[in-house]
Amino acid sequence: MRSSRAPRRGFLKAAGVVVALPTLESLKHSSGAEPSGEPGAPPHRMVCIGNEFGMYPEAFWPTQTGRDFDLPPLLQPLEPVRSDFTLFSHLDHGLKGGHFAVHTFLTGVKSADARNLPDGGISLDQRAAEHVGSQTRFTSLNVGSESGLHGGCQMSWTRTGTRVPPIPGPRELFRALFVEDDAAARRQARDRIALQGSILDTVRADAKSLQRRLNRADVRKLDEYFSAVRDVETKLALDRQWQSVPRPKPPIEEPHNQGLTKDLPLIYDLLALALQTDSSRVATLEIGGSFAASDLGIRKGYHSLSHHGQVQESIDLLVEIETYQMQQFARFLDRLKSIREPGSDGTLLDRTMVLLGSGMGNANSHTNSDLPIILAGGGFRHGEHKQYPSESRRRVPLCNLYVSMLQQFGVETDRFGTSSGSLTGLDVS
Amino acid sequence: MVTVSALSRSNKRIGLWYVLLLSVWMGPVAADEPALPPQSASDDVSFAENVQPFLGRYCCRCHGAEQQKAERRFDLLTGDIGGDSDLVDLQDIVDQLNLGEMPPPDERQPSAEDRRRVVRLLSDTIAEYHRKRSPLSGDTVLRRLNAREYANTVRDLLQIEMEMFDPTEGFPRDGQTEHLDNIGSTLVTSGYLLQRYLTAAERVVDKALTPLTKPEVQTWTFRDGFRQQPEIDQVHRRTNHFDWITLYEVRGADKHEGAYAAIHDFVQGVPEDGIYELRFDAEALNRRHPYDLEFLGTDPEEPLRLGIVPGDRTVGELHHTQPIEPLLTEIDLADDRQWYTVRIWLDAGMTPRFTFENGSMDVRSLWTRVLRKYPDMFPKPKSRGIVESRFLAISEGKFPQIRIHEVEIRGPIYEAWPTPAQRAILGADWDQAVSGDLSVDAMRTQLTHFLTRAYRRPALPDEIDRIMDLITARRAAGRTLVEAYGDGLKAALCSPAFLYLEEPVVDGQRLSAFALASRLSYFLWGSMPDDELLALAAGDALTQPAELAAQVERMLKDARSDAFVDGFPDSWLTLRELGATPPDRSAFPEYYQYDLKSAMRQETRLFMRHLIDQNLSVSEFLDSDFTFVNKALARHYGLPPVTGDQFQKVRLNDRRRGGLLGQASVLTVTANGIDTSPVVRGVWLLDNIFGTPPSPPPPDVEPLEPDARGATSIRDQLQKHRNVPSCNDCHRRIDPLGFALENYDPIGRWRETYDRRVPIDASGELPSGESFTGIESLKSLLVTRREQFERALTEKLLMYGTGRQLTPADRPDIDNILTQVRTGGGGLRDLITQVVLSDGFLSK
Repeated sequence: MRSSRAPRRGFLKAAGVVVALPTLESLKHSSGAEPSGEPGAPPHRMVCIGNEFGMYPEAFWPTQTGRDFDLPPLLQPLEPVRSDFTLFSHLDHGLKGGHFAVHTFLTGVKSADARNLPDGGISLDQRAAEHVGSQTRFTSLNVGSESGLHGGCQMSWTRTGTRVPPIPGPRELFRALFVEDDAAARRQARDRIALQGSILDTVRADAKSLQRRLNRADVRKLDEYFSAVRDVETKLALDRQWQSVPRPKPPIEEPHNQGLTKDLPLIYDLLALALQTDSSRVATLEIGGSFAASDLGIRKGYHSLSHHGQVQESIDLLVEIETYQMQQFARFLDRLKSIREPGSDGTLLDRTMVLLGSGMGNANSHTNSDLPIILAGGGFRHGEHKQYPSESRRRVPLCNLYVSMLQQFGVETDRFGTSSGSLTGLDVS
Repeated sequence: MVTVSALSRSNKRIGLWYVLLLSVWMGPVAADEPALPPQSASDDVSFAENVQPFLGRYCCRCHGAEQQKAERRFDLLTGDIGGDSDLVDLQDIVDQLNLGEMPPPDERQPSAEDRRRVVRLLSDTIAEYHRKRSPLSGDTVLRRLNAREYANTVRDLLQIEMEMFDPTEGFPRDGQTEHLDNIGSTLVTSGYLLQRYLTAAERVVDKALTPLTKPEVQTWTFRDGFRQQPEIDQVHRRTNHFDWITLYEVRGADKHEGAYAAIHDFVQGVPEDGIYELRFDAEALNRRHPYDLEFLGTDPEEPLRLGIVPGDRTVGELHHTQPIEPLLTEIDLADDRQWYTVRIWLDAGMTPRFTFENGSMDVRSLWTRVLRKYPDMFPKPKSRGIVESRFLAISEGKFPQIRIHEVEIRGPIYEAWPTPAQRAILGADWDQAVSGDLSVDAMRTQLTHFLTRAYRRPALPDEIDRIMDLITARRAAGRTLVEAYGDGLKAALCSPAFLYLEEPVVDGQRLSAFALASRLSYFLWGSMPDDELLALAAGDALTQPAELAAQVERMLKDARSDAFVDGFPDSWLTLRELGATPPDRSAFPEYYQYDLKSAMRQETRLFMRHLIDQNLSVSEFLDSDFTFVNKALARHYGLPPVTGDQFQKVRLNDRRRGGLLGQASVLTVTANGIDTSPVVRGVWLLDNIFGTPPSPPPPDVEPLEPDARGATSIRDQLQKHRNVPSCNDCHRRIDPLGFALENYDPIGRWRETYDRRVPIDASGELPSGESFTGIESLKSLLVTRREQFERALTEKLLMYGTGRQLTPADRPDIDNILTQVRTGGGGLRDLITQVVLSDGFLSK
């Protein structure tokens, strides 16, 4: 343990941020679970970023494919990291519904249909988070807009078809990551965990007694409750454990929330810190209703601009908004690339898959096909614009990419959502 | 040719089943085929002789071995109904023939006589099948409370004030089936939700218990130092030294400057939950101002209206909108300075904030615009920019404004002690519990009483034991008696006995009396049964039809039935989504300045309430000669002005308003806040008014790309669409209905042209061949076809009432309800009563 600590502390200073090391390493190893199956290797991580209205297609898709493609306007911010990402065209979930299908970005299925599926419409990030389980303080960090048009991005979904609402802003994210409770609050927290444990014992017994009075269909329904009780018990055990592990020292002052548009850079920085300190290995960022175009000095509404109706003036403003989002994304990749992975020669980006996309393909026509999809980092071979077949019979489900990502993450699975396999043509470097 | 995924097929099947008419609605009979060879029409004549040739001739070209349009195949049907799939097909054929929608106009048409004969034969076959079939209908799957019901239930169970307290904050959004949020199979429970239940139980119980002892009444007085927000403070510092509060604009404004005023020295809020008396010295200035009326949009004839909303500084800035912001009171102010006294409830930590309910809007931009528009009324600005403009506009301008010079707050005042919440939990034993000398037996008695209400049936001994054990353990761990008892209640609020509606049956399918009491109260109140219902259930009187009907009457008169008047249209008409796509601010400023969203909701709510109270015919939903408006809505609709801010019933002189289709709530929720789409509105009508949602579009269709450059009209674009046969199958049903609503803009205003240029053509033709020139003549047509609407509404009510999806087996039940209602005159209250008395409602 000691040998891996020293260089890590050194590198954190070198990165210009003094972050005290959490004593997580011992905890992680004592739990015995190593997700990747590679002993001693740094963990895999996954960050998924989505927006509500997609990317204006004419400014997003390159005309060439393969390794040598000219970066269209919206990809130009990614020039410095162009060998670190792959762009995929003609991938989608084969769904319709306009705004009402945006929430399928990471699930591949509409929430209404989810309960008929074996994995209940779980989203990519939550599937990965299940795999991480109790190894980090936060199984996943979901950040961004709580709502938006028709509910907004709604990216993260559990196995039982419930949405995981995001942490709204940098202030709350900062507090979760860094702010330690005082002694009284900790005592109170321990007491609360104890009480909640007793409550679960009581209500489980109630449920058992209820179960005996129910018909078969209702017994099946009540299984949800039993499994919820088990989930919360696991969570409480984890909470109890984490009560004794100090949080990392905050490298910055507690920030104020200024609205998602202005907060975007800071949220990305905090996410990088969360990964760096191993506070979590899975994160999502939802750029939805709280992203105000007015904070970019644009007087028209984002949604209204996405309905540009081919009016050039509106298109220009829309591209301006989307360019800002791409700039911040590029900055995030750059940041991950600048941080060295503790105990290895690589960078944080090498072990972090960063997915950027949307459930909306073309906001002006409200279509959910040909979704804008970029994958960066995570140990894949990048630097290409990969084009998949566009004919309806030969189309490749976007979920195939998700299968490949999950496999890379260490999840033993050959299916996810509406996948037909893993994604061909995507190689591990 | 049309392929639809398995998932959507199953949805559609259920949807299409809804199509139907009792009375025969005959389509066009022109250009009919000669009748098929006459057959005897007796019941035993085989399907093969009568129905199959008819299907073969008129239907099977599109719905046969070669093609299965809309996934219908009829060539294999026999008279023997093998299951729901056959049943759905046969019912579909009956319905389509009745509606006159099939065969399509460009296909061979059967004679009226053949239609009638086949309809009669098939109807008999179906009726026979229903008679033989058992059990009657699908079960309601063990249903948990949805978030709305959870909140109402804890309110009634614990008697806590919920206006500014939402325990369901952070609950995941409940799943929906056909827009309904209370369908058992769709309401899932997860670890995530259970965690939220644990937190909510803690918050709810803590709220009910505190304060333990009656707090002293305090008085706070504020005479100066009234800072408000940085933007306007820089002006007020110079103009009035913060000697008074000034309000300039409405809460709906985009960037607030003087829309909310908290008391700067009281931002921490009140110390305890309770009633507080506010006295304040206020004046209303510049009600009559020198500017154009349109420029400010305020009404000089109307007194300036002050509002009070709560604010929580831990949630966000006090000069901006906050998530929980009920209007606690409103007062019309005299122009001159006067003292006012109000009493309002405030939760601990909440501070009162003054608002200006009928002020100007977006004063931030008005500051600059007023100088430009009225340069002669102002000194010449020394510099450009907002700071100087704001200073001049405020110090020299005559904007309508409310000033508050002094405020006194006194409280908390309790109308009763112990509080209603404390009595709901511990009855008369509150003081003993607080002092710690409540005996175990007395505690058990109180707990038993509480659990019986919480579980909506007598609590079982083992359930009581478990909670008593928990309380004992908490006592042992050092909690006070009240704390430990409260911890026991938290467990009760997380128990499946509280969270789920258990529905035991007696005599095979019938709900037990207690289960029925809950079903009834969640239907009409969205909340737990009250003591009267529980007492009736205990005495087993509730299952008697006369008693049930009497209870429906009583419950609909009770204020708790607001939950139905809100909750049902939210589900049925998707009004829950109103505001989910906010109208564009620059195109529709009045929506924000006059709070049209609330007005729209209120119109529909009052309309629904009126139909219930007066037991008016449900066809009033389709067309009525009255509606409810306030001043803003009357202006919005172009109706003669009404005075005062209150809603009132008005008589309508033409048919552009009246009925649901003239209500701005419906017209706004079916638009996207920017423009309108006949397809979206047409689908909405088919889905929600007729109960016949169209199939989703085939996967290979090119979507319409909106083109605002004016090259093509939406009608031209859709016409092109409809030239594709696979599109036309559905769009001939969808588009005409949507076009009829094109005279309403995205917030439901009447318009004759698009963008004041292209005239609107709202005419169309129904698949049956009847044509209309616009919404007014469409409404007349709809009223003549009201049976279809009545059936769709009845189905939605039964679904909402039982918390389950309907199946083909529910059809006889629906038929029976409709027959009963028609016999009785067809009023909405009768309909609700008959739904409650139906087999479907009374059975699990």
